[in-house]
Amino acid sequence: MTPDALEDFLSLSVDLTAFERTDLLGTGLARQYLAKVRDACGEDVVTALLEAHRAARTEAAEDGARPDPQRLDRALRHRIFSEERLGPVARNVIKLWYAGTWYGLPPEWTDSYGAQPAAETSTVTAASYQEGLLWRAIAANPPGAKAPGYGAWARPPAIEDRYLKGRSHDRTG
Amino acid sequence: MFVKFPEGEAKRTDPTTAGGVVYDAVIVGGGIAGALIAARLGAAGKSVLILDAGPAEDLTLRGYESYLDRFYSATNKDNQSPYPVNPNAPMPRGTDARRIFPGVPDSSAYIVQSGPFATDTTYTRVLGGTTMHWEAKTPRMLPEDFQMRSLYGEGADWPLTYEDLAPYYNEAEYEIGVSADVDDQSYLGITFDDDYVFPMQGLPLSYLDQVVARDVDGMPVELDGVQRELRVRPWPQGRNGVPNPAYNGGEGYVPEGAVSTYQVEVGERCQGNNNCVPICPVQAKYHAGKTLARALQNPQVHLVGQAVAYKVHVDEHTGRVTEIEYRRYDKPDSAHFTTERARSRLFVLAANAVENPRLMLASGLRGSNGLMGRNFMDHAYLLAWARLPEPAGTFRGTNCTGGITELRGGRFRRRQAAFSVDIHNDGWGWARGAPMSDLADLVDAGGRYGESLRQGLVDRVSTQLLLAFMVEVPANPSNRVTVDPAYTDHLGNMRPILTYDIPDYTMRGVAYARQLSKRIFARLGAEDHTQYDPSFWGYAVYGGEGYEIRGGNHLAGTHMMGHDRSMSVVDKDQRSWDHENLYLVGGGSMPTVSTSNVTLTIAALSLRSVRAMLDQLAKESAPIRVTSEARAQGLPREVTL
Repeated sequence: MTPDALEDFLSLSVDLTAFERTDLLGTGLARQYLAKVRDACGEDVVTALLEAHRAARTEAAEDGARPDPQRLDRALRHRIFSEERLGPVARNVIKLWYAGTWYGLPPEWTDSYGAQPAAETSTVTAASYQEGLLWRAIAANPPGAKAPGYGAWARPPAIEDRYLKGRSHDRTG
Repeated sequence: MFVKFPEGEAKRTDPTTAGGVVYDAVIVGGGIAGALIAARLGAAGKSVLILDAGPAEDLTLRGYESYLDRFYSATNKDNQSPYPVNPNAPMPRGTDARRIFPGVPDSSAYIVQSGPFATDTTYTRVLGGTTMHWEAKTPRMLPEDFQMRSLYGEGADWPLTYEDLAPYYNEAEYEIGVSADVDDQSYLGITFDDDYVFPMQGLPLSYLDQVVARDVDGMPVELDGVQRELRVRPWPQGRNGVPNPAYNGGEGYVPEGAVSTYQVEVGERCQGNNNCVPICPVQAKYHAGKTLARALQNPQVHLVGQAVAYKVHVDEHTGRVTEIEYRRYDKPDSAHFTTERARSRLFVLAANAVENPRLMLASGLRGSNGLMGRNFMDHAYLLAWARLPEPAGTFRGTNCTGGITELRGGRFRRRQAAFSVDIHNDGWGWARGAPMSDLADLVDAGGRYGESLRQGLVDRVSTQLLLAFMVEVPANPSNRVTVDPAYTDHLGNMRPILTYDIPDYTMRGVAYARQLSKRIFARLGAEDHTQYDPSFWGYAVYGGEGYEIRGGNHLAGTHMMGHDRSMSVVDKDQRSWDHENLYLVGGGSMPTVSTSNVTLTIAALSLRSVRAMLDQLAKESAPIRVTSEARAQGLPREVTL
């Protein structure tokens, strides 16, 4: 694994999860997750995914400035999420970070691009469940780990203000 | 308090040598009932042999952590996920349940289900039994629960009253270490001794409970012409909290910590792991391993693990049990076993309300009145779920801190089942697999990622409210556990066959519960998302409406106690009417399951039965003779008094 690939994977993961690079590194699992994606999808797919992400960022950034969020969103949708091969993998990377579980790719994906030996649903390590970002997003501990302490449950959840104030209409509900 | 499981104890007792000893008592099952009885008999100077079907491993911190590791690594975190699969002592799993089609029993899992209603009810076969995965809610039964037949014409009467059992409830609350406050728990006739306090103070209500209480407290409900006001009430909990200095006349209470380790980061008060089921990671929650570790300090109390009871042998003239034949497997992953025998003055079956009758029926002991295995009960759970107008937080605190108890009792029970209501601190997890199902839906179907995903998770998960209505199921002889030699397990033990249907009485309670949930949601301004799926294995239709009904793992009623030997299997001491030196203990003895989680009552009944066992041992002190010829020939040995 090249250091560049890890950096690229982290950059992709920051955009996919909205957690900071330090948060992702803080899980201690970034390298294992990259390795997991490689094992489950193959090197070519990972390379293509990282390239598509770089291209999306370049497209969204004019004159070397920071990418414009709306243009980046469009570029990611066009280059990755709607792409037959990369879309399901990107969604799996999101779920991997949030749940700590690698979910088996949909059958139509494996029919087209082949099934790797490590493709089926699995937890990466026992720690990956505990490091799931989902729990941090809802200001809870992963059930069974990282306990908040006696009586902490009686106080309101410490959800970041921006998610309480800017509650958006739920498109999927 | 530091209690170490005696090192090597799980393998110390040689089964063959133990077979040559006549113990005062042989106990089948190392769960809460067996552990409490073993501890008490041992403390009274009696010799005890515990046979447990689970792996013969000492209870160590490392062993406990292996449960945790298995849980963390499991992709499906069901309530058996921490415990190893053991084909020699198979366990039912919640994931086993399948829809049953008429006339086609489902034998795909350990419990053969002949229906018509399928259940996902489970129990755990490791040392400590189902208290390893129990939620540890410990409500007492109501006084009226003991007189259902005479008060309401439904179900059965107990041969005991609340007053008879109350002192043993006190003892059970001590043994388990219950956190609760008397003021919160005094309702619908539940009374306490004047100076009684629980060992530990009640756990605080979750923020979610408090949000629900803001609107639900004072909500008027009229049922059967009686007005009542709902309120959110804390549940008593079998987990460590803040010890009450006023306990036991000011002596205070010392909580039992984690087994076999110093109480540094584990074993102290509940830390809010939100994982009572399937395993408390820090052993703040009581499990029967704590009692076993204490019981086994006594050199007179022995344990043989990997010992699956195969047959109860009875003297055909006296009806007395002579020995228990069991199969001791060498290793959990090998079906090789040796046949061993355990002998004693008294025999205690403490395996649970499915395994006790399974063993009796597999031994050909249907009971002189044919009631063995009949009147199986469990709770019928109806879930209702909604989205609150504001995020109140989910997955925080114990699985459940508060609930609504006003409809546990009342004269409406002449017509429809009573229920208690749990406010779940784990969102829609039980009903719809939250939060992982929400994550998958937001990402896969919703196209969410980054900030919009984080926003979506708060919107969707942190607003979830799930009410679980625990509805009573009255005794019905047609609901039963049976056996059939066509269905055996790896060791050749006959598997339990469950025949179970939900009666209209219960369904009337279910239908009422659903209507009440709609009113509660309306009062909260919550958006009702409850939908019952007709393809769900526990789908039941009543009055033109369909409901998803789930099992409660609150097994009861298969060897009911009673006043009359023609109408019951055991007497009020849980002693078999047919076999005077045999006790069948646990939920199976309960004539009503009512609206309490069963473990506290199982513990109280077990502690009460110890008195009768000690009285019987004191009376029957004649030496037991083993016929030497039978022994030499290796034939079933007769034990006579």
